[in-house]
Amino acid sequence: MFEPPVQRLIDELARLPGIGQKSAQRLAFHILNVDEVDATRLADAIVEMRRDVRLCSRCFNVTADEECSICRDLRRDPAMICAVERAQDIPVLEKTHEFNGRYHVLGGAISPIAGIGPDQLRVAELVNRVEAESVEEVIVATNPTMEGDTTALYLARLLKPLGVTVTRLASGLPVGGDLDYADEITLGRALVGRQEL
Amino acid sequence: MELNWLELNGYRCYANLHFEPAPGVNVLVGNNGTGKTSVLEAIAYLGLLRSFRGIPDESIVSTEAESAVLRGEFSVPSGSVRVEVEIAQDGRRAILLNGKRPKRNRDVLAQVPVVVFHPDDLDVVKRGPSLRRGYLDDLAAQLRPQAAADQAEYDRALRQRNALLRQEGRSADRATLDAWDARVTEAGARVFVHRLRVLDVLDEHLGEAYRLVGASGRLAWEYISNWGAAAADDLAAAEAKLSRALAARRDRDLDQRTTTTGPHRDDPMLVVDGRPARTMASQGEQRTIAVSLRVGAYRVLAQERPTLPILLLDDVFSELDPRRARGVLDLFGGGQVFVTTARDDDVPVDGRRWVVEGGVVR
Repeated sequence: MFEPPVQRLIDELARLPGIGQKSAQRLAFHILNVDEVDATRLADAIVEMRRDVRLCSRCFNVTADEECSICRDLRRDPAMICAVERAQDIPVLEKTHEFNGRYHVLGGAISPIAGIGPDQLRVAELVNRVEAESVEEVIVATNPTMEGDTTALYLARLLKPLGVTVTRLASGLPVGGDLDYADEITLGRALVGRQEL
Repeated sequence: MELNWLELNGYRCYANLHFEPAPGVNVLVGNNGTGKTSVLEAIAYLGLLRSFRGIPDESIVSTEAESAVLRGEFSVPSGSVRVEVEIAQDGRRAILLNGKRPKRNRDVLAQVPVVVFHPDDLDVVKRGPSLRRGYLDDLAAQLRPQAAADQAEYDRALRQRNALLRQEGRSADRATLDAWDARVTEAGARVFVHRLRVLDVLDEHLGEAYRLVGASGRLAWEYISNWGAAAADDLAAAEAKLSRALAARRDRDLDQRTTTTGPHRDDPMLVVDGRPARTMASQGEQRTIAVSLRVGAYRVLAQERPTLPILLLDDVFSELDPRRARGVLDLFGGGQVFVTTARDDDVPVDGRRWVVEGGVVR
């Protein structure tokens, strides 16, 4: 146990994901040793983020405004929606520069064990958008896990009757990799999803 | 395949063990509770990545140690394979294959073929179907590591579907249930086809093993299922059957709040001349069948692998009549064998004798 103010910070840091007691101690003592300005800047950043950030009213991405910068961008194609599990997935997809539509953050994947069904996700909101925004294609970019795949299947069955094309991100081989190193499941999926040259 | 050396740290009663067995037969002699079976369990763990005692990983960590470390080096035709496992008190584990983390743990399953035979094996013959399903699934995983992945996927899909049924019952969202049905069907059909392949290669070996053990009559499997598995001999057929059965039983599943059909409910029955071994065979016959199951598994692995499996016989000889005991080892190949016994006299075979006492093997 350290003196109460130090221990308090250690305890708070240790509650963060991926941070154990040791890392929390190291971070706390680092913060103790830096200039006070730097420490205050960190504290302010946390407070301001919590105060200013909210969810985009359209796609539920994080934003400081009513709508996120992607939804406000008039150059983006409103007929394409890419559905992701979490807001963190959006910058990853954005980095590819391959997608020019809008997003929809579901807030997770269907998992009865975790008590998450369609009602706990933003599925109804997605259906509303498909109907209201004359969407032509929904790309389901949930994780390639059992729960992510099941969510994709569920969305496909739900949305197709609305006359929209539903697609799933392809699973395949890592670029620059060897066939030898691919596991059977990935390779099997890559075969199923092969493309004509 | 042979175990060259085994090292145990903080594992059960072994604070520090370095053990270099002989290439052929090794007989571990010691009183009950001295840690003979623990040595066998450790060797088997390096091949199966779990305890054959069917207990959670953390319970094999010695209470005085922070973690248990099991290390072993095996010689194979192409050189040697080293498997190292560290299990922490909280059950977390790290696995190294030849000093490197394998991409997937199941890669290790393909490396070290082991066959364990212990007195509880009689339950496979005597008791309910889950142990027989386990026998087939375990053998499938040893033959093809992909089977282990498919089994895990089926378990998970089933648990998700059952969670939905348990929580919601009749009010379960039908569209969500449809999605889980599709997952259960896909994975379930694969699990079934893996079993089918095992039964295919096992059939001949099992019949032969049964004769070699000295029994008369024909020992065979009869695969009972309530979803039409019998009529399915490939993946597509199994998927179609299972999918139809899930749909037909949905009403019942909604009422009972669980999945009432699928490979997890199948009963792979053992039959001797058409009579179910579980209810019709005598205790002696059942014991013979239990031996045959392990001999069969050993022979299948020996045939499908470039190297003979390691054979682990846990206190089996005291259960056999002396006349048969002598013949048992001949049924298996000439590979490396580990035998535990409380009484040296019970094991009428040549081999290196080891005394197990107080956390030491010498």
